[in-house]
Amino acid sequence: MVKEILKNKQAVIGLIMMFIVAFIAVFAPFIAVNNPEEISPAQKFARFSGRYPLGADQLGRCIFSRLIYGARYSLGIAIPVLLILAVISTFLGTVSAYIGGRFDRIFSIFCDIFMAFPPLLVVLSLVGALGQGILNIMIAVIFSMWVWFARVIRSYVLMEKKKGYVTASKIVGCSDIQIITRHIIPNILPAFIVYFSTGVAGIILMISGFSFLGLGIEAGVPEWGAMLSSAKPYLYSRPLLLIYPGIFILFTAAGFNLFGEALRDIISPEGG
Amino acid sequence: MLRYISNRLIGLIIVLIGVTVLTFIFSNISTVDPAEAFARRNILNPTPMQIEELREEMGLNLPVYRQYFHWMGESMKGNLGISLLTKNPVSADIAKKMPATLSIVGMAFFWIVVITLPISILSAVKQNGVFDHVARVITIFGISMPNFWLGFIMLIAFAVVVPIFNVVDYGNFKSIILPSLTLAIPVISSSIRLFRATILLNMNKDFVTYAKARGISKTNIIWKHILKNSLPPMITLMCQNLGYMIAGSAIVESVFSWPGIGSHLVEAIVGRDLPTINGCVLVIAVIFVLSNLFADVVNIMLNPKILNEQGEF
Repeated sequence: MVKEILKNKQAVIGLIMMFIVAFIAVFAPFIAVNNPEEISPAQKFARFSGRYPLGADQLGRCIFSRLIYGARYSLGIAIPVLLILAVISTFLGTVSAYIGGRFDRIFSIFCDIFMAFPPLLVVLSLVGALGQGILNIMIAVIFSMWVWFARVIRSYVLMEKKKGYVTASKIVGCSDIQIITRHIIPNILPAFIVYFSTGVAGIILMISGFSFLGLGIEAGVPEWGAMLSSAKPYLYSRPLLLIYPGIFILFTAAGFNLFGEALRDIISPEGG
Repeated sequence: MLRYISNRLIGLIIVLIGVTVLTFIFSNISTVDPAEAFARRNILNPTPMQIEELREEMGLNLPVYRQYFHWMGESMKGNLGISLLTKNPVSADIAKKMPATLSIVGMAFFWIVVITLPISILSAVKQNGVFDHVARVITIFGISMPNFWLGFIMLIAFAVVVPIFNVVDYGNFKSIILPSLTLAIPVISSSIRLFRATILLNMNKDFVTYAKARGISKTNIIWKHILKNSLPPMITLMCQNLGYMIAGSAIVESVFSWPGIGSHLVEAIVGRDLPTINGCVLVIAVIFVLSNLFADVVNIMLNPKILNEQGEF
């Protein structure tokens, strides 16, 4: 599997892009040349220079340093959200499909109700009710997305459940928990990874979208979406202020998407 | 057929009831006391007595389940409450803002259909050709791009550098083009990928081999057999996209300063206008459910055989 990934050009490109962003996020204090939140009105819209590699923004903050720190917010929010989503949806999806019967049917109806809301709408209404803040955005995103992930996992487990090895392990005397954790989950793991790595890209885009709307993240925080939003008035005079953060979001999301899609091709070659 | 439709309708009613319950729960987990919020907006320095009176007037002193039935009953009559911000009935505000959103969503839908179909058919037919590769690279950027950024890039390109369009514009046909394209491009990108994959999947099916064996020409196989069988998932996806785009319009409307339901909802969230938030969420969710139902009906009308496969819904 690892060999196949390394042989696939698209997967390698995606992996490298993911590593670059992770590296930037971890080592941000060493890469950034200035404090990303330091305001110096005298340097307002400063040009490219050694001190400000990409110039300064409307408050004289170093754009380059802000972009670098932005990686921390983007990954720092998306990855915990994804991990929690993975745990919740794997648990619910697997249990529902494995128990089956009436329980599964009620769970499906429950899913249908949640799926009647486009995820963006759930986040909007929850942020409306809970109020702003990074934690509330994370809760809202988890609340809006779990059902879509759980649904997919449920359908995988349903397919696996019918296979011979599950019956065989039952006959041998494995307990239900053993069958789920040692047999079913390892078998559907590759499909999981594909689904979740493309999911990260979606979550990154979603969160940057909310901070663009001014929901969730306070003004002044060097988050890419928020930076774009605060640059909006300078559309005519400083269009570059709007272009930079978008390139970073695009780069990050594209890395996860490229990797996830390549992985899908490796796991299930048919169907493109 | 009848059994399927009646099952589907029962399912629809259960989902719609669930939607109202969930919307109601969303608004009730708020830490804001709606009576106090309303009082503070409308009365200068409200006394606790006045707040209590308002609470009774608004029915907020009743047990939660009775509040739900009250809200539900009023909603069925089309009364979604009074907006705290605009002081107008929420339903009137929604009715006023909806056409603006529907115009960009409708136009975006047009782009999606017109662009997705030919590109995905061409890429699938000439799989791994130059066109297919270019389309793959472009669409992967399309799904990785934040659409508000795309909107700004379009504004910078077509309104600032080459001034064909106006940055802030509303009310004429030209003004719809950029917002609708911005809304459509990410959806087009993901639809092309999905439709191409569906076509490729169907190319390996037995009915294609059989058609080849009967000596049917390649063009005929593609148009009459493969496409016909690839359409149902596409129709479902397109109808789902309608709901997504109405919700997603919030971001695009903010970029283009478009006075639609999305920016109305965001304003309500920032201003903590709970009745408006509830009303918008309920209306969008109902549209979403109905468009899913519409997709099912269209699919069945196009190909009644689906019923046999899904008859046990």
